Amino acid sequence: MTCPYLEYRRSDDDHEFDHERPYCAVVEEFVSPMRADICNDRHEFTHTVDCDIYRKREDELAPEP
Amino acid sequence: MSYESYLTDRRVILTVAPTGGVHGKDANPNLPEQPEEIAEQVAACEELGASICHLHARDEHGENDAARLQEVNEAVRERCDDIIIQNTTGGQSVYEERVQGIRTDPLPEMASLDMGPFNRGQHIITEHTRHNIDRLAAEMREKDIKPELECFNNGHLNEALRLIDRGALEEPYYFNIIFGHGTFTPPSPENVLNMVSNLPENSEFNLLAVGEHQLPLTTLSVLLGGHVRVGMEDNLYFRKGERVESNAQLVERTAKIIDLLDCELATPDEARERLGIA
Repeated sequence: MTCPYLEYRRSDDDHEFDHERPYCAVVEEFVSPMRADICNDRHEFTHTVDCDIYRKREDELAPEP
Repeated sequence: MSYESYLTDRRVILTVAPTGGVHGKDANPNLPEQPEEIAEQVAACEELGASICHLHARDEHGENDAARLQEVNEAVRERCDDIIIQNTTGGQSVYEERVQGIRTDPLPEMASLDMGPFNRGQHIITEHTRHNIDRLAAEMREKDIKPELECFNNGHLNEALRLIDRGALEEPYYFNIIFGHGTFTPPSPENVLNMVSNLPENSEFNLLAVGEHQLPLTTLSVLLGGHVRVGMEDNLYFRKGERVESNAQLVERTAKIIDLLDCELATPDEARERLGIA
């Protein structure tokens, strides 16, 4: 399962590309090739464990106890 | 492989690393990612005197994809005259993907061989166990592929010595000593001198330094009788605040420095002879 915050986009405010590239909707930035492996749960990565951005966002969204 | 070597044998092997696996076009739009644009930039670097190209491959989204090394190799062979292809076997992917770098058809003349893992961010570590290193070294030897021994820090020299002790490598041993942030050896002239002084007999060395350290430390490498690697894999800025326009821009600057130091760039054939490539 890929990260729900992963998008593939051709552009943002600062960039315009010929092809869609991985983009993190949380930090609103394109994702580096190495980080994209985490977003896509490739190899032995799991975004729910290995991505600090995802974990922080999920913590923020979690209901107060 | 010493200052005396600089004085007596002034042929410097220049490797260009055009792409790498770390940065994307969002960091510098001039970074070549697709086979044709990689080949075009490598051909320009060969014209300027690069004798080896260190290659990575990306998919259409700019993400790492070792399966496309075949396409990249074909494009480079089509565009270039005689440059030596050195495929990566590094990175954070699993062994089965990284080994693709030594399974292209035809085989590359060289491949990188990481001597151990390095960290990126909070959770990324490259999977370079001794078991995997030994398997890659054995397959390279069986196929007559010259390994470049990637030493991200001085502990990795011990790992290379372990391979030498096991008889897994052929002379001359070709080291790439690496300087930068994180797991890499801290970049300083003193650390370069220390690394070079610890290399075993019958070695040649290349030097890779990240970012702003590329220019001064590769220059130092020439003075120490070593070889140099430049390119956008390691450095996206030509100078502070000024992005690199192309890999050729970095190669051209280094070629000028080598000329000013009264050295000559090795041709691909001279590099083959120097490194014992069949």
